[in-house]
Amino acid sequence: MSSRLINQPTEWIDRDKPFSFTYEGQKVTAFEGDTISSALWANGIRVLGRSFKYHRARGILTLANHDVNALMTDGLDTNIRADVLPVQADMTLTAVNTTGGVLKDRSQFIDKISPLLPVGFYYKAFHTPRRFFPFWEDKIRKAAGLGEVNFNYPRIPKPKQHAHCDVLIIGAGISGLSAALSVAEQGLSVIIVDENAKAGGSLTYDMADQASSQLAELLNAIEQHDNIRLITNAYAAGYYADHLVPIVETSGITKVRAKALIVASGAFEQPPVFRNNDLPGVMMGSAAQRLIYRYAVKPFEKGVVVTANDYGYRTALDLVSAGVDVLAVIDMRREGSRSPLIDELKDKQVAVHKASCVYEVIASKHKLGVSEVVICAYDELMAEADTKNKIRLKCDGVAMSAGWAPAAALLYQAGTKMRFDSGLQQFVPAELPEGVFAAGKVNGVFELSQRALDGQRAAAEAMNYLGKSVATVEVKQHQGTSPSHAYPVVNHPKGKNFVDFDEDIQVKDFINAAKEGFDNIELMKRFTTVGMGPSQGKHSNMNAIRILARIRDLPVEKIGTTTARPFFHPTPIGHLGGRGFHPHRYTAMHEWHIENGGQMTAAGLWMRPACYLPEGCHLTAQQATHQEAMAVRTKAGIIDNSTLGKIEVYGPDAAAFLERVYTGKFVRQKVGQYRIAMLLDEAGVMVDDGLACRLEEDRFYLTTSTTNSAMVYRQLQREAQLCGLSVSLANLTGAKAAMTIAGPAAAEIISQFSSVDLAATAFPTGSVVETQIADIECLLLRVAFVAEQAFEIHLPAAAGLSVWSQLMQAGQPFGLQAYGTDAQRLLRLEMGHHLIGHDTDGLTNPFEAHAEPLIAMDKTFFTGQRSLQIIAKKPLNKTLVNFVLDSNCVGELPNECNLVIDNGDIAGRITSIAFSPYLQRVIGIAFVPPEKHLPGSRFDIRNDAGDLIAATVIQSPTELAKSA
Amino acid sequence: MKLLQCPVNGIRPLSEFSYGGEFRTMPDPDSCTDQQWAAYVHYRSGAPGYKKEWWYHMPSGTWFIAERNTITDKVSRTYLLPKMEVAV
Amino acid sequence: MKSTLLKSPIAFAQLSQAPQMEVVNGMLTAVRFADKAIESQRAHKLAICDTSAFQRVSIKGSQAANYLQQLGVTLPETANQWQLTDERLVMRLGNSEFLIEDQTQNVKPAVSELSSAKGVHKVSRNDAAFILTGNDIHPLFAEICEIDLVAELATENHLVMTVIAGVSATLLSQTLNGERIYRLWCDGTYGPYLWKTLLNIIEQAGGGAVGLHHFYPKI
Repeated sequence: MSSRLINQPTEWIDRDKPFSFTYEGQKVTAFEGDTISSALWANGIRVLGRSFKYHRARGILTLANHDVNALMTDGLDTNIRADVLPVQADMTLTAVNTTGGVLKDRSQFIDKISPLLPVGFYYKAFHTPRRFFPFWEDKIRKAAGLGEVNFNYPRIPKPKQHAHCDVLIIGAGISGLSAALSVAEQGLSVIIVDENAKAGGSLTYDMADQASSQLAELLNAIEQHDNIRLITNAYAAGYYADHLVPIVETSGITKVRAKALIVASGAFEQPPVFRNNDLPGVMMGSAAQRLIYRYAVKPFEKGVVVTANDYGYRTALDLVSAGVDVLAVIDMRREGSRSPLIDELKDKQVAVHKASCVYEVIASKHKLGVSEVVICAYDELMAEADTKNKIRLKCDGVAMSAGWAPAAALLYQAGTKMRFDSGLQQFVPAELPEGVFAAGKVNGVFELSQRALDGQRAAAEAMNYLGKSVATVEVKQHQGTSPSHAYPVVNHPKGKNFVDFDEDIQVKDFINAAKEGFDNIELMKRFTTVGMGPSQGKHSNMNAIRILARIRDLPVEKIGTTTARPFFHPTPIGHLGGRGFHPHRYTAMHEWHIENGGQMTAAGLWMRPACYLPEGCHLTAQQATHQEAMAVRTKAGIIDNSTLGKIEVYGPDAAAFLERVYTGKFVRQKVGQYRIAMLLDEAGVMVDDGLACRLEEDRFYLTTSTTNSAMVYRQLQREAQLCGLSVSLANLTGAKAAMTIAGPAAAEIISQFSSVDLAATAFPTGSVVETQIADIECLLLRVAFVAEQAFEIHLPAAAGLSVWSQLMQAGQPFGLQAYGTDAQRLLRLEMGHHLIGHDTDGLTNPFEAHAEPLIAMDKTFFTGQRSLQIIAKKPLNKTLVNFVLDSNCVGELPNECNLVIDNGDIAGRITSIAFSPYLQRVIGIAFVPPEKHLPGSRFDIRNDAGDLIAATVIQSPTELAKSA
Repeated sequence: MKLLQCPVNGIRPLSEFSYGGEFRTMPDPDSCTDQQWAAYVHYRSGAPGYKKEWWYHMPSGTWFIAERNTITDKVSRTYLLPKMEVAV
Repeated sequence: MKSTLLKSPIAFAQLSQAPQMEVVNGMLTAVRFADKAIESQRAHKLAICDTSAFQRVSIKGSQAANYLQQLGVTLPETANQWQLTDERLVMRLGNSEFLIEDQTQNVKPAVSELSSAKGVHKVSRNDAAFILTGNDIHPLFAEICEIDLVAELATENHLVMTVIAGVSATLLSQTLNGERIYRLWCDGTYGPYLWKTLLNIIEQAGGGAVGLHHFYPKI
């Protein structure tokens, strides 16, 4: 049977655009503009979901996304809020959390055994006998959760945008719209956001005082202003420091940075609490109004309005005009109401009963709807119904009103101090942070004309805050009865009087929680789970506070509130990911690596080849690495080292500056020489090492490790300015490409491009020269990190690829092979060199790494010197050594971080280990006790399998090679 | 996210900056005791209130000081150290 | 030995588009991506162009301003400003660093002739440099930058050092051939990533890449 009404002037639906969709296998008709729930309700479908715990049938409660009674899935998205999502043609929907469909849900038996499942039952049951726990865990996991994840969810990037404005207004109700106009009239830029499909807030369903014509005027005025950007179907997800508010739409997130913020977000209608207040057909008064005025749907055929404030009288008139047979208005207040609407209702034969309540709702067959209500006299102070006299009324619906809770989440997140106003029975802002303003119902202003003024007042305050001098606006204090009731709860011995509909929490759950000692608001929340469901307490937190206050016999303000955290509504993770900007750095030779099978890996921000597996090559990565390393040992290899940090230090005090920052001496270093530059932190811990090349008396070229280049440059910049020495720094890391050619044929290859005498006598290790290679100005160094003969070239990045290619070509006859970072690791290990940050950690000092030769303690000052003086006084407790495993060792190869075991105690650990194809032995570096530092010492390593593997300390693998 | 004012480049989101630690004056290493030096290296002030902090604006390489209230997270001022007015 | 050809830091990222390449200032550069009409359409809607080939150098230090002024270079007066004189662009980065970019080969003294001296530090660079232009520039900036770029660059001769799509960059706005353009410089090693990221967004918005000849037909 259709519940669609005749054309409503305010309706959001377009009757010229009908279509159909499917719900629970049933075809349903709708109009464009309908939400899923409104279309279903219009078609007489009342069961929109099953509750989380007890699987009770549910229908419309708030119709505002303040509850999740109607949570549906289309097979892809499990978080469809049917109450507010516009329905589209051919949607195929089912309710989440059912076994066998929403009507026949087999889990509804849980409602019958609910006495066995009191609040917190899962903390007490299931843990013994322990052997049954896996069984229960499996059952509970299947039962918990709302919907099934579809692992084929497509990746649809939703790019994030940034926006900027003078004033951001949350909520386009009468207060927000009035504020927007005030601000725009003064020439400032406004963004105003509303989560509903259309602007207007309660003006679109609360028709008192010619609301709809006021709305039309406001919207018209808004359109005249170019500096107002109105965004509907968008919610403000949270408040972040300095007025950053992400606005979430289906298309993605816009991060709005405002200079001032006005929160005009309104209030959530709160339910009165009585037995079976959750049956389909029982709904908030404002939900009934939304159904009528936005979607032209009749909320129910025949029913009552139960109210604990004056709002119910308005709702009753709306229901009557929609053709509902309103049997009575039940006013829970002892004094009832002086509302002028009572006379109108009397004219329409609607009875009004004060000091009465709905004691319980009687369910229809299978508990799928309402069949009767039971009315009793009600003592509002004791919250008790007088059950001696019960009036039963047959009906199919109840509209209920008890008051409002402010939608103040963003205000709380911004640091607003709220206070409880007993006249309004609502929390209102008491102290707002700078630049944040509140207006309208969220600010405790309820009367329509005052709400418009409150918007203008907030706008004036915001503009004055921004430095634009405007006149202040006066707003009248609230007069008349409280819009919210202090305690709209009807006790019932059989319970099922729901407070939180998301989590199926009833009044006795709070009483039981308090009995167990969980009687403070934070504990109460977590033990009962009130406010922890998908609506995060929008319809339940206020009642929970009221109930706890009564249990504790304390005023509401002494109970406090729990923390409202972002996001205001659940926000898709894809939205939070956005497009995802993940910068990477590429060297000048990247193209060559790709063309030649480089296995590109992220080394921090850089992309580097770990090894090369060119097309047609059938080697494993390890085999390729070994082959590359052997090429360096027997012929020649070339590696792209462009990622090294490179810093130019220039000025009369360049050498003095280096002596101040690094551990070594540089003042007397000759031009054409380089020395190792080791960097310590103030605690004396090794941080980085590189080479300091003296190119001119007042010009040094410094290298750093790849990982630390940005950090070292930053440090040097700060230190250079603090120490007052005359020095200038330049970060050339990206400006220069670099490559190393290593191996017996290295010198021959380079000689084809350079006239420098590369003989070991003429150009020993420690030499650097500015020269030309292939007609490009570059730096040439003789190095010994990966091999005994190796040369490093630094040159302008733009020439990198060309020079590399020329060297590759010239090197072919010599067997030149490119090698990657895996081979480089192995080669330096074969040379016995440790890597800072790999073989050393955040506590390693130079004494533990045999780095004394690099430390000039006799200098006046260097970073870390004072700490080394202190450390030197203490005995060494570990030391780095090179080691080799026995040639006949059996057992699983140990890994880095495997422990050195001495007499059953931990005595150290492995920091590097690898099989060397050149030496045909397993070599590595380890921390061992100082007494084991001499070559020949033996120690045991415990591998992952638990076996002890014997190792011998060696001076260095190169010594091993020579003795072999 | 927070905004921070670089003294040279103006107000920017915090993501453009790198934190450089608490601003502390080094004691004279030649005359201080081992205990005084260890306290300087390892201890930091945890007391709530205004702290002087080093901050670095990454796109421009600018080092500056921010005075920040660690309870309210409000930065009262940012400035270049006088000897650091010329960037290096 | 063949003479060494320089490559734009973005060359690798442009490979898949197969632009027409020419040598500009010794550097292989994309001069055309599509025929003139299409490139004009792109420039009108939303386009990106690689201008890395222009010769560039930084001069920093306490005597940098004096040194440059003595050579006849017109300098911006305050920090974070730029000055274009006879096709030489001078940007004052902060207080005492000048980034000089020559847009033709005729500027004297040439960038390559500048050198370090007392209090003058010449710094070589490998920038990736772009021109961004088009009617749809605002939504592009809204995606890639957290600050209000258009507002920041509205002040004449103002430049900004900020973060674009996660990368530190310097930007300014000027008029070129009657069109409003935005110029961007970043470290060359980030160039391929930034080109690819921006071009992806630009193409999704219905724009595309244009070659250097679109803006500098005679170069």
